[in-house]
Amino acid sequence: MGLFTALGVDPRNVVFSSDTSEEQGRQFGKGRGTVDCCYPVKCISGHYGELLFGQKQKLDILFSPMIYTLPSFMSGHVARTLTCPRVMAAPENIKAGFVKERDVFAEAGIAYAAPFVSLDEPRLVPKQLFEGMRDVLPGLAREEMARAVDAGYKALFDFNDRLRRKSREVLEWCAREDRPCLLVLARPYHMDPGIGHEIEVDLQAYGYPVLWVQYAPVDDDLMAWAFGDDIRAGITKSAFDIHDVWPSSYSSNTNEILWGAKFAARIPWIACVIRLSSYECGMDQPTYTPTQQIIERSGTLFFSFQDLDSTKPAGSVKIRVETITHYLQKYAADIIAKKKAAAPAGCPLGVATA
Amino acid sequence: MATVTTEHYRAYTPRPFTREERDSVTILFGGLHWRAERVLQAVLEGSGYRARVLPIATKEDLLTGREVADIGQCCPTSFTTGNLVNFLKGEAGRIGVEELNKKYIYLTAGSCGACRFGQYHQSYELALRNSGLGAFRMFLMAQDQLDQKTAMGDGLDLNLPLTLGLLWGIFVTDLVQDLEYQVRPYEVVPGATDAVARESIEYLFQVFRDRPKRSAYRSLVWHLTTGYFTRALREVHRKFSTIEVDRLRVKPTVKITGEFYLQTVEGEPNYNIHRWLETEGAEVYPAAISVWMDYLLRHGLQRFEDYSGIEKGARLKLALGRVAQGIYRFTFDRLRRALRDLPHEMPNQFELRRLAAPYFHSRLDGGEGDMLVGKALWAHHKKKAHMICELSPYSCMPNTMSIGAMAGVVGKYPDLLYAPLEIKGDAEVHALSRCQMILTEAKKRAQREFDEALQSTGLTVDEVRAYVDAHPAMKKATYHVPHDGRAAGTAAKLVLDVAKRLGRRS
Repeated sequence: MGLFTALGVDPRNVVFSSDTSEEQGRQFGKGRGTVDCCYPVKCISGHYGELLFGQKQKLDILFSPMIYTLPSFMSGHVARTLTCPRVMAAPENIKAGFVKERDVFAEAGIAYAAPFVSLDEPRLVPKQLFEGMRDVLPGLAREEMARAVDAGYKALFDFNDRLRRKSREVLEWCAREDRPCLLVLARPYHMDPGIGHEIEVDLQAYGYPVLWVQYAPVDDDLMAWAFGDDIRAGITKSAFDIHDVWPSSYSSNTNEILWGAKFAARIPWIACVIRLSSYECGMDQPTYTPTQQIIERSGTLFFSFQDLDSTKPAGSVKIRVETITHYLQKYAADIIAKKKAAAPAGCPLGVATA
Repeated sequence: MATVTTEHYRAYTPRPFTREERDSVTILFGGLHWRAERVLQAVLEGSGYRARVLPIATKEDLLTGREVADIGQCCPTSFTTGNLVNFLKGEAGRIGVEELNKKYIYLTAGSCGACRFGQYHQSYELALRNSGLGAFRMFLMAQDQLDQKTAMGDGLDLNLPLTLGLLWGIFVTDLVQDLEYQVRPYEVVPGATDAVARESIEYLFQVFRDRPKRSAYRSLVWHLTTGYFTRALREVHRKFSTIEVDRLRVKPTVKITGEFYLQTVEGEPNYNIHRWLETEGAEVYPAAISVWMDYLLRHGLQRFEDYSGIEKGARLKLALGRVAQGIYRFTFDRLRRALRDLPHEMPNQFELRRLAAPYFHSRLDGGEGDMLVGKALWAHHKKKAHMICELSPYSCMPNTMSIGAMAGVVGKYPDLLYAPLEIKGDAEVHALSRCQMILTEAKKRAQREFDEALQSTGLTVDEVRAYVDAHPAMKKATYHVPHDGRAAGTAAKLVLDVAKRLGRRS
């Protein structure tokens, strides 16, 4: 929104497709799929279809960027911050389903804009977005796009900072009250209720605060406390260096998941980690064992929901949620106590450790 | 429950491979076609290493791979993981685990993205641990910036002479493979091509093992200017010239594309698709490793295209890179000329990019990117093949994306015969029957094209055969049948060639 508002688009004229749902896929995406793949990519057909056929007011542009790299708090500490090859190429793949017989975009009078954009390379982004958007935004100037990109980044970073502050507050409350919280290790699209199936919401209903790795607090004091020993021992170079557990650190979300596992292992009040993974997720697959190992070696509870697909397996989720909460009730206090004992002194969350 | 350890989890770190171990340690590698593997072994041995090629992966390896690593692997990794584990278990049974860990190391390619290919060290490590071989040494030859020397030790020195030898080895074996596949479907004496191909590769093994040793700079100059390899290829040409062929057998040409491992290997990992297509009556146009490396060069240089005008020095780096890519292609062409231009040419990467652009963005990373779309269109427009057979591994992330994008291509060019085959490793009948359906149409097209060539030239099959019989050079495997873009099939091209020689209009 920061980008489009700065480009002069009235926010009321920016329409987002709704949350993913089976109904959306059935109604708008049926017959448009070109290949069998993971649900987070497959479901995009439904989103395109909804924007093309399901609006009261006709749209002018369908904007679906091909995102190559992601801005990450780990940038500079890892090899690269690439997106998954399916996610980055999804716009080309999904588009094919709407042009294979006839050009549905042209018939609907909607311009299709899928600029290739390297969001973790800010110097490149204005050029990429200008070249990818100039045909659909007549009169667009390079300088105008550069200013809009700055505004977009500012909006994004403000949003991230706000959520990180909130996560820090949650952790401080847990430390103060000696209460457990849960950390969700998942990819950003699992925040979509139709993809992640709100499993973490079911857990939160039992009174456990939930943090997402994408918005974990990364303040210097907390990082120095949690990872300082490893840095001083020469095991890692910084708090966000993960080569000790994952040498091929080029995938942005994979990096954050592995880092999140390390973070959870070192924060006493994160008593349980919930791993979400979609059906046929190739990026997650090699990470299953190391993630679990990192967490369980620290004595933290680890539960994994794998192969999530279009349908929410409500019955089995309910049983799993009850199992998780049972374990938390029984063991959380003990886990926190033991992790506190193993943690270094001087916890910046406002309580004494070690 | 909740046992806390102060020892955090750490990734596998193999004991380094040291220079002193070179004489006693054997480097294991594999995953290419047998010709390339054999010649790369010669390069390593000629550089002072002990090297051994892993056996071709089998279905048994696939099952082992699935069993010992995390669930959901793509099929090439299940094959290669299981292949390594089964080989090591066999050797451990023979010499013991301790000796195995001393005597062998495994070398595999790494990557810096975007697909999980580069993360598969984790699968190998897990598989080794689950097989009781956790102390075995495995190293990645990473394409990224990570410091490998620290982890690997100084045992393997990937210096310029070694790298050039490996590169030239791939060029040469790609060319021999291409020639072999053009000849075998038409051989008059069954088995003659296989025998000559084996003999040629063994000859090249000696050529590469005896490659003169030079310092880095002198080695570069020598490789670029020497007649050593062109002479060797002329000898290979002579060997192939002894094979008699009958090119009037009408066969569809099938171009193999797809994910790198599946398009390259020849064996159970891809249902022996090359040989299967030949037994079904096709001429196979194999996928060259050199083309894939040319794509990687192009893809890497695109970064400097994007940063031109933004980053100081980007234009200079782009220019230098383009020069390097030019030298790469020049070298391939020079070696191809030594085989009288019989093997297929290397498609121009910029042409592939241009062709693919409306369907697949050139900057999308992982696997073969836009090249698969580009190659399919290139072969179709230039009549290089009647049919494209794309080998797509089960669960391969980037490949499924380009296959999806191909739906748009086929929508626009319904005449393009395209067979994307999902290869799981254990669903052979399904994949091959799907291929057979499209191959049937390709056969019809090849026959139609042949009939049209006869009709347009006014020749009969007997007249063409009589002309060929009267010109024995045309019956040699090394006779060059020109490709002028009018026909994709060898038989039809031969008719057009004979007509031209006879001065007939077509």
